[in-house]
Amino acid sequence: MGKVIVVTSGKGGVGKTTSTANLGTALALLGKSVVLIDADVGLRNLDIVMGLESRVVYTSMDVIEKQCELNKALVRDRRVDGLMLLAASQKNNKDDMQPEQMKAICDKLRTTYDFTLVDSPAGIERGFRNASAGADEAIVVTTPDVSAIRDADRIIGLLQNVEVEPINLVINRFSPQLVGNGSMMDQADVLDILNIDLIGVVPEDSGVITSTNRGIPLVYEDGSPGAQAYMRIARRLTGQRIPIPDLEQKGLLSSIVNWFTKKK
Amino acid sequence: MNLSIKQLFGRKPKSSNIAKQRLKLVITQDRVDVDDRFMTRLHHELAEVLAKYFEFSANSVKMNLKQEGNSYILVADFPYTKFHDMSMRR
Repeated sequence: MGKVIVVTSGKGGVGKTTSTANLGTALALLGKSVVLIDADVGLRNLDIVMGLESRVVYTSMDVIEKQCELNKALVRDRRVDGLMLLAASQKNNKDDMQPEQMKAICDKLRTTYDFTLVDSPAGIERGFRNASAGADEAIVVTTPDVSAIRDADRIIGLLQNVEVEPINLVINRFSPQLVGNGSMMDQADVLDILNIDLIGVVPEDSGVITSTNRGIPLVYEDGSPGAQAYMRIARRLTGQRIPIPDLEQKGLLSSIVNWFTKKK
Repeated sequence: MNLSIKQLFGRKPKSSNIAKQRLKLVITQDRVDVDDRFMTRLHHELAEVLAKYFEFSANSVKMNLKQEGNSYILVADFPYTKFHDMSMRR
């Protein structure tokens, strides 16, 4: 029996879709069978971030309306074994789907695939409820800023109400330099506020922009710090125990640099 | 420990510390607000139990969650008009 994990955040633009694409690809690279579901009905993007936009024929809405079988609606990613995408309908909206319908899709996929990752839309309304309806576990993505963390706290409360457990936190767009000079909250600060388990810290990486431009997830670029962080999170999802490295830039040299480049 | 030169000279505090403190305050408030539905349910269930023991008028009841330091305190006022005679009830 596989796991269904909803990737969510509350606030938009913190990296849910990027994280879903990279964690899904990373899990497939580790030999797991994976389905990625875009739950952002009406504002679909996971297909284009994955570079699979030209191959989408059917969507989850077609499956719900019984226009096609679930297996037929899955787009196979040819770059790696065992990775599939279930796209969202672009012409419908979130109210056209019921949480039970999404749950039925997740329940089916769970029996065949090791991991089903559901990319949730931003917000706490219907789209989020659809995305989390079939989830066993959750990954909450946040960035180390006040608005993303506040929204993450709200989402965590809602997930706890419906007994999605465990809820793991990914801190995205972490800047070692800004943390080093005190301009950004560090992981201990974020965890102190949100009080859930941390599964990984992804450093700010301009490679995310170029990889999204190309439709090739960052994890294919071995050397990039973002790719390495996503690979570590994927390994942790498979149960491997890998310590979370401290990315903060400290030490005498950076202290001197910080002193000369004073930040407010 | 990790004080910058600026802090040693009493200049501006780190903005990350300000962010953390502001967040802690606002999230505490958010959590209490979100608990409104929970409070309504608790109110009804408490009233049901207490009604077995004494009489009170439902609209005189006041319930609040208060925060003191790191902990919450539930304050419930049920002004009663009279006790039921429990010896008669068995």
